[in-house]
Amino acid sequence: MSEFFGPLDSECRVPPRQQTRVAAFLISAHGALARQFAFTLPMKLESAWQTELNAQYHRESEIVSVLLRATTWVPDLALSYMAASWETVWFPTPTEGIADRTLATAASLATLAHAVHASIRPAALLPVEANASDPFVMALRRIEFESSRLMQAQILFLKGPELAPYRNAVSAALERRHAEIGKLWAEALEGVGIAMPRVQ
Amino acid sequence: MPFLRHGSYRIRYELDGPANAPTYVLVNGLTQYAELWAAYREALVARQFRVATFDLLGQGTSDKPALFISQDDQVAALDLLIGELGDGPVFLSGISFGGLIALRYAITHGKRLSGLVPMSCFAELSPQLLLLGNAMRTGLILGGTGYLQDLLLPMNLSDQWLKPLLDKLDSVKRQGWLVNDVYALQNLMESFLDFEPLTPQLASIGVPTMILNGEFDFLTPRALHETLRVQIPDSSLVIIPRAYHAFTLEKPALTADLLARFAEDVLAGRWQGNKTVWIAPEEAGGALVPFPAGYDHLRAIPTQGTNP
Repeated sequence: MSEFFGPLDSECRVPPRQQTRVAAFLISAHGALARQFAFTLPMKLESAWQTELNAQYHRESEIVSVLLRATTWVPDLALSYMAASWETVWFPTPTEGIADRTLATAASLATLAHAVHASIRPAALLPVEANASDPFVMALRRIEFESSRLMQAQILFLKGPELAPYRNAVSAALERRHAEIGKLWAEALEGVGIAMPRVQ
Repeated sequence: MPFLRHGSYRIRYELDGPANAPTYVLVNGLTQYAELWAAYREALVARQFRVATFDLLGQGTSDKPALFISQDDQVAALDLLIGELGDGPVFLSGISFGGLIALRYAITHGKRLSGLVPMSCFAELSPQLLLLGNAMRTGLILGGTGYLQDLLLPMNLSDQWLKPLLDKLDSVKRQGWLVNDVYALQNLMESFLDFEPLTPQLASIGVPTMILNGEFDFLTPRALHETLRVQIPDSSLVIIPRAYHAFTLEKPALTADLLARFAEDVLAGRWQGNKTVWIAPEEAGGALVPFPAGYDHLRAIPTQGTNP
């Protein structure tokens, strides 16, 4: 087990089995976010935050698109049951402790998006010698970079005045999401020989 | 790898050196992690100190609270660590953000300390520091940890240190980039959003205090250290020649020597703070010399001072 992708091939590319597993996980997570943002997005934007929502939807779609095209796919038998378990985790679950159902659902989506954007760092799996010209390597770097920018909308909302009265409930829900998604990510990587050093 | 538990969060720490020896507790700067004190562990243990290092909440291998990290929680984590050390003498030192946490600890738990060494530190946000902090936060948000590192390296380290590393800066930055996450660093920075100056409380710090400030520290310049010197009763200010904000990285042998000498002086009853100003030697083991009488230590050019 290593903390990084490998062993790399002679052109310093990530093994296809690891590419497949990581890309499948990221497509599942970012695809779920894209679907949920799309479901929330009205045809006609009527407030400023919906403009951000539109941007989030398109960035998530772009992440899915780039992974579909940049990954060297190989058959992975474990993916069928793993993907099913991942998809159940992305289901929206209104944040407990917030009586307003619309606000609770929005908080739930934001906690999911924050956890995906903040705690999943695919570029940190790349060893130093990874081929910077390889599309998969470039895709992971781009996803991690974009994630930290996308996350800002979730931070603004989760720390903002609407949720300030529910700070403890929001923090607890977010910690749960981080732990849940971190565990899924670690399990997905473990199956292809990668150990997350910080998951105990 | 031992951990302490603060509520639901785990704090990773390390103890080195003899268990019954006086202990130095070292507190990381904002973008740092405990391994950066490795040279200090070695040097201080060789001088018969025990050394305690740890990752603050939000750093390295400690847990990273997802949304909020208060500075009070950092002080509580530090208190847990010091609680592990038994009843022997404890000297507390921290750099930059870690220095601020050390100051907070000394204000609230000063009786537990035998000595305090704030380094590249501040008790209040001057307009420059506030705006620099805001710019660094924006840089982190827009450009990620790598961009923040790109800003901090030239601001906080000398040409002499940087020059031989210019073609391998990526490897210098890599471990910090790997172990520190954007959201966690952002939470640490945002712990300043409700920051209140500590200056009015500094006078309550009763322990011997040696304040270390790099000669060329741009981020936290002399005036911010002067606040500490003036307000902390048993203090002295030591200026590190040719040093910038991150002199603990650049001059570990000299800094560890100064830390050891300070603690040895305090334990031997030789320490006298008297709010004096000193110039550190260029190398470990050299003599500290008093800042020249009659000159203003707040100026970069030799200007005659005015007595308060």
